Order: sequence, then C-alpha cells, then structure tokens
Amino acid sequence: MRAMVVFSHPVPESFSAALHQKVVKTLSARGWEVDDCDLYAEGFDPVLSCVERRGYHDVGPNLDPVAPYVERLRAAQALVFVFPVWNFGYPAMLKGFFDRCFLPGVSFELVNGKVAPALTHITRLAAVTTYGGTRLRAVMAGDPPRHVVKRAVRFVVNRNAKMRYLALYDMNRAEEAKRAAFLARVGAEMERL
Amino acid sequence: MRALIVYSHPKEGSFNAAVRDLVVAKLHNAGAEVEVIDLYAEGFDPTLTGDELDIYLDTEANIRPVQRHVKALRRCDTLIFVYPTWWYGLPAMLKGWLDRVMVPGVAFTMPEGGDIGPGLTHITRLGVFTTCGASRWLTWTIGAPGRRTLLRGVRLLCSKRVRTAFAAHYLMDSSTPETRAAHLARLDKAMDRFIGAPVRSAGIERAPA
Repeated sequence: MRAMVVFSHPVPESFSAALHQKVVKTLSARGWEVDDCDLYAEGFDPVLSCVERRGYHDVGPNLDPVAPYVERLRAAQALVFVFPVWNFGYPAMLKGFFDRCFLPGVSFELVNGKVAPALTHITRLAAVTTYGGTRLRAVMAGDPPRHVVKRAVRFVVNRNAKMRYLALYDMNRAEEAKRAAFLARVGAEMERL
Repeated sequence: MRALIVYSHPKEGSFNAAVRDLVVAKLHNAGAEVEVIDLYAEGFDPTLTGDELDIYLDTEANIRPVQRHVKALRRCDTLIFVYPTWWYGLPAMLKGWLDRVMVPGVAFTMPEGGDIGPGLTHITRLGVFTTCGASRWLTWTIGAPGRRTLLRGVRLLCSKRVRTAFAAHYLMDSSTPETRAAHLARLDKAMDRFIGAPVRSAGIERAPA
C-alpha cells in the first residue's frame, strides 16, 4: 500500500515540519510505502499558466506539464496533506497543487455528462493542519480549508474512503504541552490509518 | 474613494478581463481613484518563502519584499478581487498575494497573549467578482470556500461597517454570449449599489457635528 504525503511549509524547523516527520515516520513504520512529496523542497511551481489554462479541458495532453505528479497521485491508496493555515486557507503552494494537478481526467471525469470521481483508488484521506487563530475564528470565517478537504477532495476519492481532518487551533498561543499532545494524536491517528 | 483591484487571470481576453474592465469603468465614472494590480501580468511570485517566514512577525521587515503591494493596500478604502474560482477557491496566485501581503502589522495585529486584531479598518468597501466552473448548487454544497475566504475571512479584518458586493457567473464552461452579457448587466447594477452613497467611516474620520 502506497501513501502520498503532500507537505507544504518552507521552514524545516517549523512545527508543521515536525508534524510532517511524524506522519512519514509513523506510516513507514506501519508498513506503508511512503511517497514523500515536499512541495517547497521540490520547488513546485504553484502558478497555473496561460498555456495550461488554454489546454485545461483537453484530457490527456492537459496533464503533460505535471505528469510526474499525476503518476504519483495515481499510484497512491492513501493521500495525506500536511500544511499550516495562512489567511483562512492553505498556502498558495498547496492551492497551486490542486489548481495544476487535480485536472479533468485526473481527479474527475465526465461520464454521460455527469461529473464522476476519478481518484477512486484512494481509500484513505487525511489532513494534518495548524491554525494560527482560534476555532471560533475559523468557524466565523467559514473554515474554507476544512470544507475543501472534507467535501471537495472527499468527493473525488473512493466513496467509502476513511477521512480524518486533524487540526490544532490557536497555534500562535499554543504551549509546548498542547503541541506535544497534538503531535501524539497525529501519530496515533496515522497508526490507525 | 480610492479603489484597489487585485486581478488574477492568466489569459488576456478572458471573461474575467471583461469583468475587470467594467468594474474599472464604473469606478472611474464615480470619480474614484483606481489602481489595478494584475498578478499574472507582473509575474507576482505567490510563494511565501522560509526567509519571509523568518521575518514574518517583524512588522518593519516583513513588508520589505512586497512594499509596493502593502502601500497600495494601505492607501485604498475600497478593495476588489476579480478572479476565476478554481477548485472552489482562489487561484494559487491570488492566495499567495494574501499570504505574502496580508502580513502581521498590515492586515492584522497579533498582540502578545491576545487574539488576532483587524488591521484593515480603513477599508469600507469589499468586492468579490468571480466565475465558477461548478454550478451554484455544487458551489454552495462544498461551502463556497473562495467566497468565504474573502467575504468572511478578509472581511473580519476590514472596517466593522464594511459594505460588501459579490457576483459570480456559475457554470462558466457552458456559458454563452447571452449568459455572459446578462452577468455583466447584473454586475453593472451590483457596482451601482456597491459605490452607492458615501460610506460613513467608523470613528476617527467622522465629520464634526
């Protein structure tokens, strides 16, 4: 079983990086073959270009600019996102991963004029994230990242997929103990994935 | 009225460009000062780097990499976003503009031990004009994350009395010249309401009785 871990944070000493390490190590120890996709480290370009926009609906050639990433997506049975929430959403780096890689023919298909999910080989979906503000603040803003993962991405993977959304809120004021507890919780959830 | 339009679409001649042009024309007619930031045209880099995160909390240093953008944001009293909705949200290009320009000391304050405070209280009008490939129904089912990021998230940072406007052309991929013209007509009316009578600023700028 193969797990693709998509990570988006530029600083190796960050708490996000610690979460990323925890996810990768725990999954590997549980026997998952981990495809560690560190978008910043790989120098991923998040900007969907004019040429890509023109060819967006041309299923087949549309995936050429991001073919290696599409292959990695298609090879995975589990998909785990690790990212911080910045300004009410995920980092532009991760948003660009969706914009450029979740293409027609990759994440969804048109079957008899209806949109059908195309990542049905993915049976485990998880997000591990940290919010600077409180839970209340996120709810007031409508919590966009939670909706995208739990609804939009959830819709294109296997319909019986197991879903986990693990979030630490009020990160700006979180003490060491709270962070450690969250790290342990992420480890435990990954054990069970 | 000083308006800043942040525009994010890779193709010139797109319907979003027509939306932008109409918004600019309406503002000009109302006598507003208008500035347009075209993120794709200027090759804006949406990636917040490790170096920038190192200085993220330093409210003097953190604006240096994006000084011109911060200046434009601080000058305006009307902030408008024009963009296509991709994956129910903002294009990475536009999300990156928020990540890099809406930093502590500019868009919000982070007092020691306290909750986040608003930093854009000089903004009294917030407009969001977009196109969606999905239907209105599907967009709402997902929870309209793009709209919420701006009209709830960014709105929390603006003046308490901020006036908002929103217009979206849904099912963009099956749009026709008629649906597009109808949308521009709706937008025209929405802009009239949006510009409307002068907005009274909260507190300090209120004229003496």
